[in-house]
Amino acid sequence: MRSLILFIITYLLIFSSIHKANATDLKSDRFRLSGFGTIGITSAGKEQYGYHKEFNHEAQFGGFSVFHDSVLGLQLDADIIPNLTATVQVVIENRKQHDFNNIVDWAFLRYQITPRIVARAGRMGTDLFMLSEYRNVGFAYLWAHPVVEFYAPITTSFYEGLDLQYTYPVASGYLELKVYGGQTGSDIALSRGELHLRARPFYGANASFETDSWKFRLIHAATDVTAVRSPLTGLLDTLNQVPQDAWPQAARFSSKLDGVGKRISYYSAGLAYDDNNWLVQSEVAILSSKWDSINLRNGYVSVGRRFGPVTFYSIAANAKSLDKPTQVTTPLVSSPTLNSLESLTRNAFNAPHINQSTVSLGLRWDLYPKVALKAQWDHTWVKKNGGGLLIIKEPLNKDITLNIFSLNLNFIF
Amino acid sequence: MMRYLFIIILISLSILFSSRVVADIAVIVNPSTGITELTKRQVIDIYMGRTITVSNRIILRPYDKSTNSAIRASFYHQLIGRSVASVNAYWARLLFTGRASPPRTTDDNIAMLKTIENTPNSIGYVYFENLNDNVNVVLRIEINE
Repeated sequence: MRSLILFIITYLLIFSSIHKANATDLKSDRFRLSGFGTIGITSAGKEQYGYHKEFNHEAQFGGFSVFHDSVLGLQLDADIIPNLTATVQVVIENRKQHDFNNIVDWAFLRYQITPRIVARAGRMGTDLFMLSEYRNVGFAYLWAHPVVEFYAPITTSFYEGLDLQYTYPVASGYLELKVYGGQTGSDIALSRGELHLRARPFYGANASFETDSWKFRLIHAATDVTAVRSPLTGLLDTLNQVPQDAWPQAARFSSKLDGVGKRISYYSAGLAYDDNNWLVQSEVAILSSKWDSINLRNGYVSVGRRFGPVTFYSIAANAKSLDKPTQVTTPLVSSPTLNSLESLTRNAFNAPHINQSTVSLGLRWDLYPKVALKAQWDHTWVKKNGGGLLIIKEPLNKDITLNIFSLNLNFIF
Repeated sequence: MMRYLFIIILISLSILFSSRVVADIAVIVNPSTGITELTKRQVIDIYMGRTITVSNRIILRPYDKSTNSAIRASFYHQLIGRSVASVNAYWARLLFTGRASPPRTTDDNIAMLKTIENTPNSIGYVYFENLNDNVNVVLRIEINE
């Protein structure tokens, strides 16, 4: 149903523009086609440790890949009537899923109610970070890729719903308040297989203050998980069927591993400074829920220095699960089946646990006004049983380090 | 000898001075807006997409010169001290998040002048030497090369 609605909006917008607009119209005010892209080479991961910058991307197990960072996006904006515009954005990248539902990032209508109030409806980017709505647009930010510790754990990049934004001038800057609500979901790849998640309602509020050099942001969002399809589904059913006298905690473990019906809350604060010489950006966040896998605090600090068209930068980032993995007790009755179930349950609690830090060095070189070359080296430390951001076949039973090299060309048109 | 040197210095100074005046940029609006003056702050806010109105009343639609033009580089450098690439990156954030569309572009100074003359609620910029009486000059941006 979601795909059908998206398909209809996109079809109407694109085909009305193609059929009604001649070349002059496309160049004029009414229709605007724009795009962005990244062509990149990445070296990441190791044979047994798959690395991906986002959970909806294919993991890389060592070697060089041209597709890991490469993205192509097209956006069509159309003025329908005064103050009402329609926007559709299609993004093609190295995603796990390539169906229509997953390539249409946005399809929404935007209505300027007053000069200070804007309402939008449709599919929009989840506005949870400094980069959240433009993390695919490499040209728009400094780094070669978004900070994995901060941006990867939130797997929902868009939602369907409404938002309302109010902007007000304060001192030498602008205060912006935004509220939104709707439904969200994600189709991602985890170590134990694919996970399909749907959550409703999804709602939140943002406040930001921006001047020429500074930007501050406070964010709160929450959602209730309504459906989860993952390889764990079978394990949860089996745990529920274990007789109480054989393993009294089995049903409780099943309940802790089950996301359905649980609320996820997100709190974040961010600041950015850019005086044309120095660029500083930092964000911290807490993700919490009663769902055992979703508990995290993360943050990063990035400092850059411009020298003409070249900007050198460094980033320090960390992500750590708030709680230790649930301790799995041994069944009271010993049997091969129960022992195997115990091992699977222990892995299910350990696998999503995150304890990872990265230090990065990089440069951005603005070759032309719409083309930038970026290079970045990341050195990542992953602690024992803290490999929740990696794709690993076996539980991580030791500390490891990884090096990631990215070189990419970013452009807009 | 001293006299020749003096004359050469005078001529050099006058060329330098006149070229500086010619290179100054006039921020212009369509006369139907009724606006005769804007502050640098107001022009920055309009061109950086932070507001679409002046005094929360008159809507202004900004126009830019093409990306590689010298006047665009001077305009943003003097206005906010940023390069065109940096302003493009800033606008990419607003455009590709569906928050606002960047200013429309015109090909040259004459086209810019014609556009502002003929488009209600428009704001743009040209070199002073390209000015005519059909637009209102609301701010002078001095170019200190």
